Amino acid sequence: MNDIDEQLREIIPRLRRFALSLTRNSSSADDLVQASLERALSSWGDKRADGDLRAWLFSILYRQFLDAHRRSRRYARMLEFFTGRDDAQPSVERTVIAQSTLAAFDRLPTEQRALLLWVSVEGLSYKEVAEILDVPTGTVMSRLSRARQALRQLSDGEITRPALRRLK
Amino acid sequence: MISMPPSERDLHAYVDHQLSEDDRRLVETFLASHTDIAAQVRAWQQDAQQLRAALSGALQQPANPALDPAMIRQRLKRQSRRHLASAAVLLIAVSVGGFSGWQAREMTFVSTQLPMTDALQAYRLIAQQGILPADYKAGDDGDMQGWLDRYFTQANRLPDLSGAGFKPASGRLLSTEQGPAAMVVYENQGGQKISFYVRPPGPKNFMLPRGSRSDGGLQAEYWSGGGYNYAMVSPTDTPAAQMLRQTVQF
Repeated sequence: MNDIDEQLREIIPRLRRFALSLTRNSSSADDLVQASLERALSSWGDKRADGDLRAWLFSILYRQFLDAHRRSRRYARMLEFFTGRDDAQPSVERTVIAQSTLAAFDRLPTEQRALLLWVSVEGLSYKEVAEILDVPTGTVMSRLSRARQALRQLSDGEITRPALRRLK
Repeated sequence: MISMPPSERDLHAYVDHQLSEDDRRLVETFLASHTDIAAQVRAWQQDAQQLRAALSGALQQPANPALDPAMIRQRLKRQSRRHLASAAVLLIAVSVGGFSGWQAREMTFVSTQLPMTDALQAYRLIAQQGILPADYKAGDDGDMQGWLDRYFTQANRLPDLSGAGFKPASGRLLSTEQGPAAMVVYENQGGQKISFYVRPPGPKNFMLPRGSRSDGGLQAEYWSGGGYNYAMVSPTDTPAAQMLRQTVQF
């Protein structure tokens, strides 16, 4: 058990980074990591396949994020129904806009952010990503290609005409 | 072995170091003589590199002890208790209607249902156990009335308990069988809590005479007005309960 905990401790900073790239908010990112670790530890015996521990944890975290996202949207709609206003979701403060690439990355849809982080940053294999998303490897490759083009276009746009995009 | 010219997928696999050694060399030879495609590939590589650099800072966050596996294991052990508590959330909805679905025959006397049970239940869950998070927290300007007015326009004003040291601190919406309910939690400096609870009277339009009852260590003052039912809940035998019973005029 201590051995497992040691392995987990090494991966936790990576999980936090991934969660941060999804939620863009460090406290909800840590909530997400916590919920994912709880899920992982309580289903350790039966669900854990023999693959890479990191990829398995990424996939748990990603699912939790998507679920929570759907729930909060539902809740926001309920509040909106009561009030006719939508103030349940606080405006997203983008605390870290360091470089144009990061700014562009931040504007990509959730799945493209996850894909680029897994492949470009974490170096997961296409096969591992295919397992996380539960799609064929070929699909991963075409989605990755689209994500890269999108990042490229946004980074270019960011440099040449940042003001125009914001005003839209 | 990949075929030449390389497909776009092969080029991505090249960028991601997912080609075999031989294929990698093939692609490199190809790129050496196709400068436009090489530029495209280099741009992808640069994006990936910049992304790695930009995100490397996020690995250096100070440790969060709550995320340590040992802590998580401890929390998991306590979780069965929490499951019981979330079952109680459902109970709010059920107990208000008094099992109206399958016990409808016995529901001729609505009044056999003790008044404002849901308000007491909500106090336990929110003020005492902190199970449900607040939807709204009073800032320094503390416009709790404004928050409540958005949901219950005709309702009684929030009572001013500042004389006794209690100020509105947070609000939460709940759904009950009688309709949407809101609860505002007042707190004093000592962290003691009083709740103000408001909801519609329900389909039977059941209005309450001014009354008071205690249940399981909590005391509820209840009344109706402006088309809604209200309750104020606090722990029994506290100065706060005393104060509610004697001084609050509704």
